[in-house]
Amino acid sequence: MGRRRRLLVDAAAEAGAGALPKVIAALSRSLPAGPSPEIFRRAKFDRPEAAPALWQLLFRLLSPRSVGGASAPLGLEAQACLVKSALRSQGYPRQVLAQLPEDGSWGSRELLLALSWLLARGPVLERLLAQAHVQLGDEMPVCECEAVASTGPLAPHMDAEGPVDIRCVQWLMGRLWFRWRCLTASQQEQCALLSKIHLYTRGCHSDQRLGHLSVAETEMLRDPEGGRQLLRRLERENAGLEAALQWRRGELVFWRWMDTVLGACPPEAPAAAAQPAFLPRIPERGPGQGELVARELRALQEELCEATERRRAAWEARVGGQGRGPQWSSARQALQKAVDQELAALQWAWEQDRGPARPHGPHRLVRREDEAPGGQDLRAAEVIRVLRSQEARLEAALRQLQGQCRQELARLAGALPGLIWILPPGR
Amino acid sequence: MLPAGCSGRLVAELRSALDACAERQLRLEQSLLVSRRLLRAWEPAGTLAPEPPLGPETKEEAPSPACTPSPQDLKELELLTQALERAVRVRKVISKAGERDKAPSLKSGFFATSPGMTASIPTRAPGQAGSHASEAKPTRGVRQTTVPAKGHPEHRLPSERNRARVGVGARATRPGPGLRDKHVAPSAAPQDPEAFTLKEKGSLLQLPAAFRKAASQNSRLWAQLSSAQPRDSTDATTAAKTRFLQKMQTASGRPGPVLSAVEVEAEVGHLQEACSLLRLRMREELSAAPTDWMQEYRCLLTLEGLQAVARQCLHRLQELLAEQPLGPCPVGRPSRAPLPCGGGADPFWSPQLLLYSSTQELQTLATLRLRVAMLDQQVHLEKVLMAELLPLVSSQEPPSLALCRAVHSLLCEAGERFLTILHDDPADSPPPTPGPQDPIRESPLLPGRS
Repeated sequence: MGRRRRLLVDAAAEAGAGALPKVIAALSRSLPAGPSPEIFRRAKFDRPEAAPALWQLLFRLLSPRSVGGASAPLGLEAQACLVKSALRSQGYPRQVLAQLPEDGSWGSRELLLALSWLLARGPVLERLLAQAHVQLGDEMPVCECEAVASTGPLAPHMDAEGPVDIRCVQWLMGRLWFRWRCLTASQQEQCALLSKIHLYTRGCHSDQRLGHLSVAETEMLRDPEGGRQLLRRLERENAGLEAALQWRRGELVFWRWMDTVLGACPPEAPAAAAQPAFLPRIPERGPGQGELVARELRALQEELCEATERRRAAWEARVGGQGRGPQWSSARQALQKAVDQELAALQWAWEQDRGPARPHGPHRLVRREDEAPGGQDLRAAEVIRVLRSQEARLEAALRQLQGQCRQELARLAGALPGLIWILPPGR
Repeated sequence: MLPAGCSGRLVAELRSALDACAERQLRLEQSLLVSRRLLRAWEPAGTLAPEPPLGPETKEEAPSPACTPSPQDLKELELLTQALERAVRVRKVISKAGERDKAPSLKSGFFATSPGMTASIPTRAPGQAGSHASEAKPTRGVRQTTVPAKGHPEHRLPSERNRARVGVGARATRPGPGLRDKHVAPSAAPQDPEAFTLKEKGSLLQLPAAFRKAASQNSRLWAQLSSAQPRDSTDATTAAKTRFLQKMQTASGRPGPVLSAVEVEAEVGHLQEACSLLRLRMREELSAAPTDWMQEYRCLLTLEGLQAVARQCLHRLQELLAEQPLGPCPVGRPSRAPLPCGGGADPFWSPQLLLYSSTQELQTLATLRLRVAMLDQQVHLEKVLMAELLPLVSSQEPPSLALCRAVHSLLCEAGERFLTILHDDPADSPPPTPGPQDPIRESPLLPGRS
């Protein structure tokens, strides 16, 4: 039995020997700024020349979409710094990374380990490929996550402006709402135009599911040069996808190899350099998100406290004299249990990491008049319904906040005698 | 004037919101430009759908792939245009005289010379609608067949002008002389020949074959890739990855923080959602009117339960914040919880389609989406303003009335309305002084708006 197993293992190892270069080649083809397979091999032996390429690759993987290449390209040191802090915030376990020099003079083995760590934790390749996906259709996002995620870092705006008047703030707010209105008007126009284009090109698409052309496809017909570029990008994406599939099929070999790389590392000195480098704090930064949430929770707690005390007092006053027979206590227990169950369900609603149950991200718009029910595609009516409920929820939240402010200001105003405050007429 | 720190933060927040809006507007403008251009008259470079599909003879006439016009070609085009114009004039005369037998001879004579030239006419005529128009008229007249499947006599026109691209399927129709004999029909009265517009001939467009192949391959590969996800696949791979991760963790020699910064942030987001859900529930309970004692008791129990849950959440939040002070993450994450959607996964393109049935529906959808985004931003700004301005007002001794007024309008009326403050000077004949909460709505002196 042992001999047979050994034979099997040997066969697998032999198959692995030839497969590893192929798998690494597939990996490097599917990564966007993929280093050559040679870099991987050098990194295993901790060769210094492999370090810069790996720093750049890690930067590409970890930087958010908007930063990657949009603004002025960062130098290697800045990239390395950002990579270190990003890995730390994601929970990278090894200390050695923090000690690597940022000029890229050595450390390629550690960087290789960091890369594998990222690859093991999540579908990095698929994410990158989806980011670079060539949009052939008219995409409309069904949620606003992208808008939230793409607001870049606030740091660039911290120029020394000095104190401003409150009227400046009012003016900026006014500008903001005006811009939103313009945006809405432009969006309406765009939808009308899109709808027309879809209508006029119906029946043209070879794919029956789609039925009509999108703006990108029609534009390709109008402008052949642009069409050729689109085709080239599409072909490049297909090549990347094929490489990713090849990688997925053979990645077991890679993980076995990474085990050996990890084994070749010297064991880490435990916890000597305990303090991580302090994150550079922007000094004037206001309350973080955690602090804002804490304030909200405290305010909520106060309100609840007040309300429950009132109700409890009223209840006691009302019922206090009545008998506490067994009928009463069993009813009370039943009610308590029911309430506990309800609250548990409520808690579940936010504790569960709600999976991709709700539609998410951009979808291709397709105009289809016939209402064929039961398809696996999303319908606009459904999305509208969800958005309306979100709108109602947000409006309620806004009104509640405004009410809170009114109360607070009224309280402050009450401290000022001799003034009459006339509120504007309600809506 | 606001203090420096406060001003800086508020201005920065508002500026980033303005920039985000401006960026969206820019992207929208770009797509508007493209869409408007497509709805005007233009010339398709690709092939159009033939009516009906022709046999292999047409393939031989498929022209060379030259797409950029050379000066010689342009000259030839001009000559051809002139010739065609003459032909049209002659044809008009003929059709007016009602003699149709001369037309075929004219056409066949014309065809003898034209195929060679049509084959080399480049797609990109100097872009004048005029030349297209003149080309259109005679070709229509010149053809024997004018049976359009969709009732447009000009639908031959684009196929006259289309030029197959490199390696693209040559299903282009060609003015093959004998091929159309079956479809002899009197041409309609000469309509005003327009250049190609999407409105009239959009349904005749056809995508080039290379593109179609690449696109279908693309969707196939994506389907394969998403089904090859390691969730269900060979456990050996998943096991190997887990082993590797564990080894990385143990090799580091220390247990490490329980939660990474991103996980802390995610949990804070959950707690924020918890807060809003609890608040919603509280409102429901407080506004419900209990009819009997059981309901009242239940309401009381629910409120007490909510209070306990809120206490737990706050406790948890304080634990998280103590462990890892959630300062600004240097990689630039926004300081705002994302809307509860999909559990914080990055929103990427999905192969699922979004079907709409009318322009109205699409516009409603888009407007609602923007409105939700705007409201979300408004709620966030409201919180930020509250955090910055309310302490300011309460700390000022004596409070500046202008500031109070401005803050009230910003925080309570979204900047749309202002309140009015009057000095109640006891020296004047005193009207009964109303309390500050008393809105005097009918007072003739006071416009609510300013």
